[in-house]
Amino acid sequence: MGVLAMKRILIVGGGTGATMLANMLDKRRFDVTVLSKSRAHVFQPAFLYVAFKHGNPNIVRDERRLLARHVRFVEDAVTRIDLEAHTVTTAGDARYEYDAVVVATGVTTDPSQIPGLTEVNAQFGDYHTNVVQAQKVWAALDSFRSGTIVLGQSTPIIKCPPSPVEGILLAEELIRRRGLRQKTRLVFITPFPRAYPAEPMNEIVEPVLRSRGIETMTFFDVDRIDPETRTISSIAGDEIQYDLPIIIPPFVGAEIAYEPASVLDANRFVVTDKQSLRIKGFDDAFAIGDATNLPTSKAGVGAHLEAKVVARLLEGAPAEFHGRTHCPMDLAYGLGTFVIGSYTAPVLKYPPNRLNHLMKAMMGHIYWVSLRGTLEPVFDWYFARTDPDKVRQAGEVAGHA
Amino acid sequence: MDATAAPRTQVDSRGSSCPGPITDLAMAYRRAKVGDEIELWATDPGVKPDVRAWAAKTRNEIVSIEDQPDKIVVIVRIVRR
Repeated sequence: MGVLAMKRILIVGGGTGATMLANMLDKRRFDVTVLSKSRAHVFQPAFLYVAFKHGNPNIVRDERRLLARHVRFVEDAVTRIDLEAHTVTTAGDARYEYDAVVVATGVTTDPSQIPGLTEVNAQFGDYHTNVVQAQKVWAALDSFRSGTIVLGQSTPIIKCPPSPVEGILLAEELIRRRGLRQKTRLVFITPFPRAYPAEPMNEIVEPVLRSRGIETMTFFDVDRIDPETRTISSIAGDEIQYDLPIIIPPFVGAEIAYEPASVLDANRFVVTDKQSLRIKGFDDAFAIGDATNLPTSKAGVGAHLEAKVVARLLEGAPAEFHGRTHCPMDLAYGLGTFVIGSYTAPVLKYPPNRLNHLMKAMMGHIYWVSLRGTLEPVFDWYFARTDPDKVRQAGEVAGHA
Repeated sequence: MDATAAPRTQVDSRGSSCPGPITDLAMAYRRAKVGDEIELWATDPGVKPDVRAWAAKTRNEIVSIEDQPDKIVVIVRIVRR
């Protein structure tokens, strides 16, 4: 195939999904450009450990070194994607044409949606925005001596659904290890009917929270925070007073204008077909990862598996996304579990143990290598081995019910 | 169309089990006004007890919960916000 016949693929974004997809595409068939507003590629799951374990904040790599040599990388913020005209425009006033575009722009946090939250997040930090914010959480915990710690997500949509539970459990472990447990009230707020939204996983999580003396306030969808009286109010009218608030801000999609504008929902997530990952109404435009409105967890594993589906579709092979989630959950004290489900398979009641915790830690180590795509055979084997339907049929989660 | 009908937002949560349809209902509620109706489509049977508990907690009204061959259709009326 000659150079002229090469398909021009434009990937917008520079995170897990964008990088994996770019590296998966055959350089003999595709002319690949990655357009990202920053060359800093951040391993975001480590924010949790920066915030609650004073973990190593060195979790950023140069995106250009993570991409295969044939992939063109341009550091420029995309401002407009015209799906009708097949063009992408940037803040640097450049204009790109494409044969296929893939949106992998992730999400950003937006505390301004909740009155008082901007102030609270500025003072006490949060562990979903960036390293600096996560370090603020650590600083706040480090200087905490007694009182009430309130932790939870402010609104129902969240990046990494297990992360609120992980945060409160790691905070409890830290407080206990410091000998402050008797002087500390720990309150977990959640907008959901139960501590973990998916019922089978809640059957694991709720007893753990109870056994560690953590109070849970359900249906606590944050309406406003008053930093003067240190009070958080929910839409349903509940209130809680804090000494240390660790509140996860709302999430929104990237600030990019689309033509047509109807491909964005109210939270600026891209309206995406659940199976084909095509942007609604367009055959040559796809969206992957956190940027989509898919009814599945916003997490790296989704971006990874969706990148794989889009790579195959671009190659002309049949492929479909099944909504697979596989999110590790740190339950503190060296225990871990995984949230495993799909569009059709309800979340498993997956037993907590030390091996699962070790696997979560290991994923942090292999992340940078996995972006290259060279570990795909291992991932294929692992995801097939842990397929939620197969695990359930094999009865491997029975006995832990 | 009945001109006096309450404004109704349709929310399609079919195929969603984690975090689940209650996420979509709660997000729609954040944007709703008193008098609005939310029509939620779901396939996860857990939606029924969740919506009942949600309505009891937020003191909003369930208009109907209907099992259809391919989905569960829930209609709630926002009376408090």
